[in-house]
Amino acid sequence: MFDIILRNLSQRKIRTALTIFGIGLGIFAVIVMGSMSENFNQTFETSFALTADKIRVFGSSGVFGGSVTTSKAAEVRKVPGVHDAYGLLMAPLEEGGGMRFGGNQVIGLPPEKSQTILGPVQVKEGRDLMRGDRYVTVIGSSIATQYDIGVGDRIEIEDKYFTVVGELEYTGSFFDASAAIPLDIAQDVYEMGNMVSMIFAIPEEGVDGDLLAKRIKLSVDGVDTLSPSELEEEAKQGLMIFSVITVSAAVLAAIIGGLSVMNTMLMSVMERTKEFGILKAIGAERQDILMMTVGEAAIMGFLGGLLGLACGWVAVFGINLWLAEKGIVLFLITPRLVAIAMLFAILLGTLSGIYPALRATGMSPMEALRYE
Amino acid sequence: MNNAEPDIILQTRNLKETYMQGNVPVHALQGVDLEVRRGELVSIVGPSGSGKSTLLSIIGMLEIPTEGSVFIDGIEVTGVKAKAIPRLRREKIGFVFQHFNLLPALTALGNVEIAMRFARVHKKERIKRASEVLTEMGLGDRLNHKPSELSGGEQQRVSIARALVNRPAIILADEPTGEVDTKTRDIIIGILRRLSDGGQTVIIVTHDPWVAERTDRVITLVDGKVENS
Repeated sequence: MFDIILRNLSQRKIRTALTIFGIGLGIFAVIVMGSMSENFNQTFETSFALTADKIRVFGSSGVFGGSVTTSKAAEVRKVPGVHDAYGLLMAPLEEGGGMRFGGNQVIGLPPEKSQTILGPVQVKEGRDLMRGDRYVTVIGSSIATQYDIGVGDRIEIEDKYFTVVGELEYTGSFFDASAAIPLDIAQDVYEMGNMVSMIFAIPEEGVDGDLLAKRIKLSVDGVDTLSPSELEEEAKQGLMIFSVITVSAAVLAAIIGGLSVMNTMLMSVMERTKEFGILKAIGAERQDILMMTVGEAAIMGFLGGLLGLACGWVAVFGINLWLAEKGIVLFLITPRLVAIAMLFAILLGTLSGIYPALRATGMSPMEALRYE
Repeated sequence: MNNAEPDIILQTRNLKETYMQGNVPVHALQGVDLEVRRGELVSIVGPSGSGKSTLLSIIGMLEIPTEGSVFIDGIEVTGVKAKAIPRLRREKIGFVFQHFNLLPALTALGNVEIAMRFARVHKKERIKRASEVLTEMGLGDRLNHKPSELSGGEQQRVSIARALVNRPAIILADEPTGEVDTKTRDIIIGILRRLSDGGQTVIIVTHDPWVAERTDRVITLVDGKVENS
């Protein structure tokens, strides 16, 4: 049956090619948008995994919005079950850059805690921050690429020059776009006094992070907390909305491709009315005709999927290569995305072929034979 | 139910077919009773609109009669479920059409072996049998030619090979010589005669008296009724 299907497709080369192109365009959109979503997902998952053991403590004026003073870290540290707590100041690296997803950032942290904070990420070259460090920085891999700097070079932060003493390995997390500097220096250059963006609280071993987060909130005045599970929940919701928006746009494009398959198959079925009559006259069963027609649509879907995947991969690779100079990775094609895109393409083709196939099987053989 | 004599391969009883042309009912068949014996070469003749092709379509299970029964090889085919029709059609009937009705994308061999695909015959066996039948038809050197590369006579012989390859009980030929020259007509009728002599039942619908004369029996249809048989 497969050979007949291929032969039928090759009989109408241009139409088949255009239909495959239509599906390919849709799958291209799925791959490009999907890989962007996959990249954000992975960045979050890796970032989260690297800081999963830490409770975020903020000023109670709002999550992510309220700063706290450094002294609050000492209060948090006193809460039973807290192993350690220290303040972090996060600020945009570039002037006017603002704190945004994918943007470079400065993390002001106590140099003696550098290993605890950056610990999960290996220092590729150089060293961690140390007690007594002042205008030095440990940079993420994206910043190193973007600014084309390494250990020994200097980077300007808020009109001050910092010497790079360490470079982190690539992780696919926010650490890649981060430059760690000593907290007191960060507070100084950003004129933040003794304020920090948040406090990282590390639970003692065996202590439940969610319960401890609640305890901190109750024990320390004027703070709010975000436990690891709450952070994951909130971030996943945000990512979900982003994914739905990007993937919906891509799916819409792919459905348009599916409609072109249906149109092609309807035309094809109409043109081949007599052929179906002949096939029925020589004993073709309903499922033979169904398989033939749906098979053609599914193969067009599959080939469209392959085309979209190939074009999407080239586009994503090209854009990533171009953005690499700026230290940005925007797209990530995962095996999951490839599997979903291909399944979607085949499913789309198959579903689009069902209605034309039902029309083909529903024809009276005699009427089909008389059709001119 | 088997009401037919053992050597009767086809029997129709009070076969009626009425269809609507706009609001006007057209009585294409008005109670056709006929019997055809195994191995007989029969022609059905009659003026245009007499119901010849309708009768052939009903015998071939391409149409369901308004009334009446058709028995083929002892089976009342008008009484079986629609799902069983394709299998019965495959096993009992081979069609030869006036316009050949070959599939243009397939070669001569492909056009013949496709009939066996639906019978789920293994590929090797399909190719072997299709090649044999085409060779019997004198087309051994044209197996890989597409219909567009064959003459009308050759196409009709491919069509006969396709009808024959599943070893059906009856071959139904609708004006099989209508599209060919007289020399090819002789060849086609010669083939059908030879098949009949070999025990294959053949029913031909024709306008051509020359063809009718060369069959064992002529059934004349007029206004949807058998005038003589």
